[in-house]
Amino acid sequence: MMMQTILPRSELMERTLTTWLGYALSERQMFLIKSGIFLGACGATLFVALASSYPAVHDTLHNVRHALAVVPCH
Amino acid sequence: MSLRALFAAFCFSCVLLLGATARAEELNIYLKTSPALGLLRPFADPVNISLLVTRPDGRPVEQGSVAIVLDAPTSGPLLSTDFPVVEGSRLLELVLPLRQGRTDWKYLFPIRGDYRLSVRVITLDGGAVAKTFVIPIPENSTKWMWLGLFCAGLFVLGFAAGRIFTAIPAAATMSCLLLSLAGVSLVSGHDAPSSGENPGSSATAVEIAAATVGKPTRLRWRAADGARATTLLSLSITHLEKHKTVFAIDQVPVENDYPVNFQFPDGAEYRVNSLAEVAGQEPLRTEQLVAVTGVEPPATAQIPALLSFLTVIALGLGAGRLSKTLRIR
Repeated sequence: MMMQTILPRSELMERTLTTWLGYALSERQMFLIKSGIFLGACGATLFVALASSYPAVHDTLHNVRHALAVVPCH
Repeated sequence: MSLRALFAAFCFSCVLLLGATARAEELNIYLKTSPALGLLRPFADPVNISLLVTRPDGRPVEQGSVAIVLDAPTSGPLLSTDFPVVEGSRLLELVLPLRQGRTDWKYLFPIRGDYRLSVRVITLDGGAVAKTFVIPIPENSTKWMWLGLFCAGLFVLGFAAGRIFTAIPAAATMSCLLLSLAGVSLVSGHDAPSSGENPGSSATAVEIAAATVGKPTRLRWRAADGARATTLLSLSITHLEKHKTVFAIDQVPVENDYPVNFQFPDGAEYRVNSLAEVAGQEPLRTEQLVAVTGVEPPATAQIPALLSFLTVIALGLGAGRLSKTLRIR
């Protein structure tokens, strides 16, 4: 009976993605892509939390916005 | 007419025409605040502002009036304050009488920066003198501390992400990081007021125009029955959420009409109280609630702050990657 190595899930996903796309990316390129996605997600989160006018978010974080001194509010 | 007589007549005319102005320019105007100027902070406590007008010999000007105009600090070069709509706008316009050379009022400065207080004193003899004071209001140090902690948190977040992303088999998935982002601390907010003015009863003596942040609102007190007697008017405006008095004048002698232009700095609810005292009559109290319409901050004020925060995260990402690669080497 052959023993199969169990790969970590993240590594499995990266290998799957690389196979699916048909080309490999260097570690530096992967870092830039991940960082870009991460910064985009952070920017969206910060925008919703600190700059959106959606009442539920605004009213909940109103004091936080004012406490940070540089975040504009109404 | 001889040339000498003509010259004398010219000099006499000049003295008559310019005499009042010359006298007025000799007046001294002093500004005093309580707490002292160095201790003032935005949205902290109402400041008692006093003006003293004296003659050159130090005697106070007995009677006259002071036209007061207060302008908000202009916008900063990069980051705005928490009330960007207020920046550079007119905050207050009113005329107060001088009593023994002195007049005072209470005001709550809404944002940090250098305020411009323009004062024009008009004496009974028609003389006028103007002076502009700059009132510096530094930001509350607690706010800077919170901003520093927030940036430190963003940097740590970026640092951790940078270390995770640098490892080829990622130690944690992106979803975990995104979930951690959702853990933004929540604190109690305020009730969103409905826009528009809450009209008072018809018996109230203060007329308040529709209040919107960013421009002065006209408040006009009128004697209820058009009485001509001199009234001692006390007027106060209170921020209901913060429970702070943002503006107040106390026992100002007025006739049957007294206007004030006041800018409500925050889109919240305020209470306007007036107390009119006429000699020999019962004091007349009025109270009105005003729901101030907030104005959405412009994108030019929001984007720099968000970009600054993203820059901090990016720096953390770089530092995290650097720490990981240096350790591997």
